[in-house]
Amino acid sequence: MKRIGLWVLCGLLGLSAMGLAQGPRMGGELIIAFGTDPESLDPNKITSAPAGMVLTHIAETLLTMTEDLEIAPLLAESWEFSEDSLALTLYLRKGVKFHDGTPFNAEAVKVNLERFRRASYRFLLYPRVQRIEVVDEYTVRLHLDMPFAPIISHLSHNFVAMVSPKQIAELPEGQDIVAPIGTGPFKFDKWVRGEYVRIVRNDEYWGPKPYVDAVVFRVVPSDATRLVLLETGQVHAIMRVPPLDAPRVAATPGLEVVKVPSVRTIYIAFNYQKAPWTDRRVRQALNYAVDKEAIVKEILGGAGGVSDAPIMPLIFGYSPQKPYEYDPEKAKKLLAEAGIPKGFKVTLYHPTGRYMMDAAIAEAVQAYLRNVGIEAELITMEWAAYLSFLFKPVHEATFDMFLLGWGTVTLDADYGLFSLFHTSQWAPAGQNRFFYSNPAVDALLEKARVTPDPEARKDLYAEAIKLIWQDAPWIFLHYEVQINAQSTKVKGLIHHPREYILAHRAWLE
Amino acid sequence: MLAFLMRRLLLAIPTLFLISVVVYALLALKPGDPIDELRFGNPGFTHADYERLIKLYGLDKPWYIRYWYWLSRAVRGDFGPSRRYGMPAAEFVFRQRMPNTLLLSGLSLLVAFAVAVPAGVWCALRRHSFVDYAVTTLNFVGISVPVFWLGILLIYVFSVRLGWLPAGSLGTPGVAEQGLGAYVVDRLRHLVLPVLALSSIQMATWTRFMRSSMLEVIHDEYIRTARAKGLPERAVVLKHALRNAILPIITLVALAIPGVFSGAVLTETVFNWPGMGRAIYDAILANDFNVAMVALMFISLWIILCNILADVAYALADPRIRYD
Repeated sequence: MKRIGLWVLCGLLGLSAMGLAQGPRMGGELIIAFGTDPESLDPNKITSAPAGMVLTHIAETLLTMTEDLEIAPLLAESWEFSEDSLALTLYLRKGVKFHDGTPFNAEAVKVNLERFRRASYRFLLYPRVQRIEVVDEYTVRLHLDMPFAPIISHLSHNFVAMVSPKQIAELPEGQDIVAPIGTGPFKFDKWVRGEYVRIVRNDEYWGPKPYVDAVVFRVVPSDATRLVLLETGQVHAIMRVPPLDAPRVAATPGLEVVKVPSVRTIYIAFNYQKAPWTDRRVRQALNYAVDKEAIVKEILGGAGGVSDAPIMPLIFGYSPQKPYEYDPEKAKKLLAEAGIPKGFKVTLYHPTGRYMMDAAIAEAVQAYLRNVGIEAELITMEWAAYLSFLFKPVHEATFDMFLLGWGTVTLDADYGLFSLFHTSQWAPAGQNRFFYSNPAVDALLEKARVTPDPEARKDLYAEAIKLIWQDAPWIFLHYEVQINAQSTKVKGLIHHPREYILAHRAWLE
Repeated sequence: MLAFLMRRLLLAIPTLFLISVVVYALLALKPGDPIDELRFGNPGFTHADYERLIKLYGLDKPWYIRYWYWLSRAVRGDFGPSRRYGMPAAEFVFRQRMPNTLLLSGLSLLVAFAVAVPAGVWCALRRHSFVDYAVTTLNFVGISVPVFWLGILLIYVFSVRLGWLPAGSLGTPGVAEQGLGAYVVDRLRHLVLPVLALSSIQMATWTRFMRSSMLEVIHDEYIRTARAKGLPERAVVLKHALRNAILPIITLVALAIPGVFSGAVLTETVFNWPGMGRAIYDAILANDFNVAMVALMFISLWIILCNILADVAYALADPRIRYD
C-alpha cells in the first residue's frame, strides 16, 4: 500500500528527475499488454478504459486529468465561466496541427463537439451544452441551459478527444473512425483486431516529443499469459496482475509491481423498496456483520481499500465517514430489534470474473451473514444476463441484494453520486438499480450540480455523503486497487488511476 | 456413388436451415441485449435512448421476424455487421480469425495424425515391449490432462524456465519488416507450444485406436497368408495390415476436421491466439449475434460436409463398401 501514494504523487516530476541522472534514451518499441481489445477507436463510440488508453495517446482532449487528478490544460490553454455560469469560454492552444496537417482551431472543436451531439447517447456525457459558439480562430464558447459545474471534468475525459475535422467530413455516413487522426504525441499505425494496436511517434508533436519510436498495445485476455509474457521479456508492462501473484512478481529481479488506486467502488446494494430492507436497522446491521478489512486483506491480497464513503478518496467531493466496524454482536442486536427471525433467507446476486475476486467476495459475505443468522443464497449470472436483470424497474425487481461496481470515471462526485443515488435515476431510467430515495440527498445533489464554487460544492457533497452513509443503502465494501507490473528497463511510464498506462514520456533503457 | 453424393448434399440444405433456426432462436432468447452494455455505466443514457436504439436495431421485434430478416440477407451472402468490431461479420470471421485458426488447428491435426499412426502401429507390432508401455502411459496422460493445464505447463517449462520459445500470440509485432525469413521463423516459433498442447489429446486418442485396430488385424488369417507366401514384413504391415486397420482412424480424422474451423477456445485463450474459438465465445457473451451466426453456420456446414466425406473415404479405402 505504501507504493500507492508514492506512485500517484511521483508523476512526471519524480520520473524526469530520475531521467536527468541517466538521460532518457531515444528509440525502441515499447510493448504494453492489456486484457481487452478496444471495442472501437472512434471517440464517439468508445466506452471502455482499454480503448480510452489507446486513444489518449493519439487524440487529445481540451482539458486533461493528470495522474494526481488535477485538471490541467491540454488543447485548451485556459478556460473561464461567465458570471452567470451559463457559458464556458475555452482559449485554445495555437500552432497545433492534426496528424494529417489540418490546423487545430475553434472550428475543429465545434465539428468534434457537434459530432458527439449527433450521437445523442454519447453527447449526454455533458448534456447541458446547448450551443457551441466559435468566438474567433482560437476561442470557443459553450452555452449551457443551466449551470453545470462537472462539465470541466467531463471535458477532461479521454473519450471526449478531438480528431481531424477533415477525417470527420470524409467519413462515410454511418461508419466509425477506425484509424483516428488526432493531435497527440503518437500517430495511429496499425490495428489488428484481437491482437494489437501499434502507434508511432509523431515527430511534429506540439509538446515534448515521445522518446520511443513506437508503442504496441497487445491484447492478451488471460491473466496468466499476460504475466508470463512479462516474465519472459516479450512485453514491457502489463495491466491487471492477479492479486495473489503480485508478491511473486515483486520478488522477481527485473520486474516491479505498481499499485494504482482505481476509481471503482465495489458494493452490495439492498433492494431499498422491499421489506425488510426498508428498515435502516437491517441495512446497518449487515454493514456491521461483514468484515471489510479481512476481505481486502485476505481475498484481495491488499489490492483495495475499505470504503469510507460511497466514492473513493481521490474523487472530487469525497468526504470520509466513520466506517461500520466489524461487530457481529451489534449486528445481531439490530436485527433482533428489527424483528428479523434467525435463519432469515435472502438472495445475493453477483457477477463472476467481472471484478477482482467478485465471486470469492460474495462467498465471504455469505459466510459473514450466516454468522448473524441470515442465510444468503448466492446466485451468479453471466454478465450480459446480469446486466439485463439489473435494469428491471422497481415493481419487477425481485432481488434482495446484488454485488456491483461503479467507476467514477470523471473523478467528480456528481458522476458517482447523482447517477447512483438520485431518485430520478431509478432503473431502468438510470443507474440507481437499488431504488434508493432520500429527498434531502436529492436536493443536495441537485444543488451541487449547479454550484460553480468548488468549496461550496465540496460541502454539499459532504452533507449528501453523510446522509447516504447513515441510510446505508449498500454494504459499503471497498474500492479496487489496480495492480500493474512492468520491467525495470522501462522508465517514465505513468500508471494512471483511470486504468491507463501512459507512454507519453517513457523510454527503454 | 454419384447419386448417393447428390442425395446427401441435397439433404444438407434443410439440415443447415434447421440448424440456423435453432441457433438463432437460442441466441435471441438468451437474456440481455446489445444495448445493455452501452447503457451500463453511462449515466447520461436515458430510457428514451434505450427505446430508440432498441427500435433502431429492430430488437423490439420477435425473434422469428428478426430471423427472417437475417435469413433473407444471409442467402444473398450478406451476414450483417459486427456490432463489436464495426466491420462486416463475415469479414471479421473469414479474414481476421479463420486463417489463424486454420494454421493452428490444421497443423495440430496433421501433427497428431502423423505421430499417432506410426506410434500406434509400432506399439501393436512390439506389444508388451518397453516402448509399448511407455507410449501407453503417455497416451493415458495425454487423454487425462486438460489442455489448458498442459498449455500452462508447457509455457512454464519452455518459456519461463528455459526461455526457448515465446509464451503466446501469433508472432512478434513488427517482425515482418525484418524480412521474410525472420518472419517465418518467428511465426513457427510461436506455433510450437500451442500445436503441442492442442494436438496432445488427438494424438493420444488416435494412437490408442491405431494400436488396437492394428492388433485386431495383425492376427487375422490373411496376414498369416501374406507372411506364408513370403512377403517381406514391411509389405505385410504397410500394404495388408495398415490399409485395413486405418479405416476407423479415417472416420475419427474426418469427424475432427470441423474442429479445425471451430477453433479451440481453451488453447486459444492460454496461448493468446486470436482464433475462431475465442471469436465465437466472445461474440456470444457480447451479444454480437451476426458474428456468432456466420461462424456457427460455417462450422455446421463443415460438420455436414465432413460426415459425407467420411462416408466417401470409407468407400475409397474399402472396396467392399458401396452406396448404390
